[in-house]
Amino acid sequence: MNRLMWVTAVVVCAVGCSRCTDPVECADCYPEPTPYELDIPAFFPPMDIPADNPMTVEGVELGRYLFWDPNLSADGTVSCGSCHLPSASFSDPAPVSTGVGGAQGVRNSMVLVNVGWSPSFFWDGRSVTLEDQVQIPIPHPDEMALPWHEALARLEADPDYPGRFGAAFGDPEITQERTAKALAQFVRTLISKDSKYDRWRRGETSLTDSEFNGYEMFLREGGDPETTPGGQFGGDCFHCHNEAGTLFTDHLFRNNGLDASFEADAGLAGVTGMPLDSGRFKTPTLRNVALSAPYMHDGRFTTLEEVIEHYNSGGVPSSTIDPFMKYTTGGLALSPVQKADLIAFLHTLTDTVFIHNPAFRDPR
Amino acid sequence: MNNISAGLAAVTVFLVAGCSFPYFTHQINTGTLRLDVEATWEGEPYALGDVAVDYADHPIQLHNLQAYISRVELRDASGEWIGNDREYEVNLVDFSVESPRIVEPFPTGQYNAIRFGLGLPPDINGQVSPSDFPNDNPLSVEGSAGMFWTWLTGYIFFKYEGRTGAVGSELLSEPIAYHCGTDSSYRVVTFELENDLWIWEQQPTAMQLQFDAAQALYATEPINVIDYPITHNGPGDTLAFALMDNIAASWHLVK
Repeated sequence: MNRLMWVTAVVVCAVGCSRCTDPVECADCYPEPTPYELDIPAFFPPMDIPADNPMTVEGVELGRYLFWDPNLSADGTVSCGSCHLPSASFSDPAPVSTGVGGAQGVRNSMVLVNVGWSPSFFWDGRSVTLEDQVQIPIPHPDEMALPWHEALARLEADPDYPGRFGAAFGDPEITQERTAKALAQFVRTLISKDSKYDRWRRGETSLTDSEFNGYEMFLREGGDPETTPGGQFGGDCFHCHNEAGTLFTDHLFRNNGLDASFEADAGLAGVTGMPLDSGRFKTPTLRNVALSAPYMHDGRFTTLEEVIEHYNSGGVPSSTIDPFMKYTTGGLALSPVQKADLIAFLHTLTDTVFIHNPAFRDPR
Repeated sequence: MNNISAGLAAVTVFLVAGCSFPYFTHQINTGTLRLDVEATWEGEPYALGDVAVDYADHPIQLHNLQAYISRVELRDASGEWIGNDREYEVNLVDFSVESPRIVEPFPTGQYNAIRFGLGLPPDINGQVSPSDFPNDNPLSVEGSAGMFWTWLTGYIFFKYEGRTGAVGSELLSEPIAYHCGTDSSYRVVTFELENDLWIWEQQPTAMQLQFDAAQALYATEPINVIDYPITHNGPGDTLAFALMDNIAASWHLVK
């Protein structure tokens, strides 16, 4: 009798175990996903995680697979990572990215650095959540050009994805919403916190004289006080690329004096319809700025020197140019040494640990 | 004897229990004061982007108006100012937002004056890090976007940004960037109320708080926007203090 019970128990256990190894057949057998402990670095603000998309180890890993999967493009050649290269701080070294079939976008690929803290996405802020943002490039004709229903069909046909969705969400159903959630979870892990600047803030290293002078320039009001009230001969960078929370962006939208008119690209006004928003674009973070050339929303500047020179000139007047631009008072009036110092400081924001982090690379 | 004991016991129980009975306590109920904030130009409604003319006939178009409002308090009949104990619950009024409002809890009752801090009091400004606040707090990195000064380790109390031009000109080519901050720029705005204000438990007491952007240029000291278009409240810069005096005198409470 006892022997019979033991045999029965072993058989039941064996059957149960074999069912659990086939998650497609047994939706109930997926274990609870493992909570992902996001490490918020010192000096950073708290990151808001949507209540309906808690981060999990399995969700982040699924997002990583999706991020690097070219099968999510029409011809199987373009993944998210194609235009967000780690070596370029998860942006594109080209002024505008090339999508499926050679299609060209109209704006420079934005860096994916610390975007978990961003309250809006894209140069014109047309998405206000990461979950929304990541859904746009896949069907976009200039990017991955794959309608969502086809993308989902490909994921369902893949031998690997149903199990990964099951592990991340408790059952193997593959939906657009879940795909977006997993991508957003992965992108939230792209945190840069180990630049020389960070190590300096943590007291682990010191800046060179040139870097420190550049830092002071960064934080000083711009302009000659003779012509610009309150001017301190500084770089005037801090107003927009604010050091608060060490994010180096205020996440606001500004017209930094690139063009006199906005026919080519209305920027934020294209989203809001407000004339005052014409020519305004999102302030990008300066983290890894030395790696993320070219610069501006259209990638018009190829070097940091050109960028500094643009601000030094004061910019091009227009109806919505930001009052921080010194377009009426002769620009910033920076000396060659000051410019060099400023660039030296910007290089301290380079985080090679971040760009080489294996957890962010293509897992295949 | 039994009756006396029972009676004493009943009285004792009643007194002891009665103390916690709402009928016998001075229970503090809470209501809400809602201030609907509106920008005006010489008393007329003003929206960002409108072109108006200042006291000296300069055309002015404002692009950005933002103000920290802190420590909203009401004065009761005894003369005591009643606030709330939410130390870091300040308000950032952004006039680019439709229908900005300030909502504050207060004990129900009757009040005869209202006051608020324009900017952040010294015990907050420069004493806190934006990273320490949840993102929905106006003092946080996200909540204070564009209103935090690194170099002065404090917040910008008031932003008045836009463009202007010469008298009679339609060309608005000159920038205006008034950024006032620092502890010395903190001001308190007080309104003595003609009629007492009641805070009820059931429904919010709503009042309209108007900021007259035109008066901000002359209310206590005329400021020529062409001659003095910029301040960041830097060392030795007195323009911001004059502006804050003007700005403090440019608020109007409308029942």
